[in-house]
Amino acid sequence: MFEWLENTSVALWVGESLWAYPFMLSFHVIGLAIVVGILSMVDFKLLGGFKGIRVGSFLPLVKFAWIGFLINAVSGVFLFTSQATYFVSSTVFLTKLGCIFVGAILTKVMQGKLVAAEAAGTADNVSMKSLAVISLLLWLLAITAGRLTAYI
Amino acid sequence: MEAFAQSIEGGIVYTWVTSIFWLWPLMETLHFIGLSLLLGGLIIIDTRMAGFFRGLNITATHKLLPWVFVGFGINLTTGVLFFFGDPMRYAVNWGFRVKMVLVVIAGLNALWFWVRLNKPMHSWEPHGDTPGEAKLVAWISLVAWTGVLLFGRLIPYVGTG
Repeated sequence: MFEWLENTSVALWVGESLWAYPFMLSFHVIGLAIVVGILSMVDFKLLGGFKGIRVGSFLPLVKFAWIGFLINAVSGVFLFTSQATYFVSSTVFLTKLGCIFVGAILTKVMQGKLVAAEAAGTADNVSMKSLAVISLLLWLLAITAGRLTAYI
Repeated sequence: MEAFAQSIEGGIVYTWVTSIFWLWPLMETLHFIGLSLLLGGLIIIDTRMAGFFRGLNITATHKLLPWVFVGFGINLTTGVLFFFGDPMRYAVNWGFRVKMVLVVIAGLNALWFWVRLNKPMHSWEPHGDTPGEAKLVAWISLVAWTGVLLFGRLIPYVGTG
């Protein structure tokens, strides 16, 4: 199946075009900055930082982070197709994918809790410190594993 | 810049960076973590200053600035070491040159904010619209840093010269 994927016209375009691969990578790093950048700031807030900023006022930014997630899902699929058979057999790549998968679910869960707390007017008393730490560690590991796919 | 690059090659830092095989991937990972902190803080500060996300108190968003500086510090350090580890490649790479010009533009733009807008900001409506000059500074920052990411990521792929 992955061999088939590698030989689709899209995969060949990404792999052979002079600009497709580097530009997909550029989109991927911009999406990364949006996702991990915003979510790490939300995590720092949940860990007790940024006195004077309401927790609930970060909620629209979390929505924006999902746009970054979409950018990276799309650019990631394009990048994946060009070397599909290599990526599916790479432990570091699968580790990265696992972290992103769990990280996305965790973000959804935390977002849901915050939306509910905001509606109840208790967002500033919400206690999610351990979830915030797990979230930070997952994105840290995703970045590390992602970078190492180029080496291992 | 090429003469400078030539003088680095073979030096102590060059030898150190190139002699430890895991140092380069480690520094790249740190560079990506640094950019996440730098951009994370700035996206929030700049989009608010451009007039979006008005639920955020505009002055309070600047409490994120320490993380921006931490990210910048990580990336300046790792960035300088990248240059010292492969000087001739960076010196002639136009992706790197454009990236550096954009970093300087972003820096001057931050200075513009500091000189002209930092004090008046405290009298703006905390959850209201922002003046035109603030919007301009915010957009220049967002465009410049996006360009830094774009051209930085193109460095391994663009021609040398």
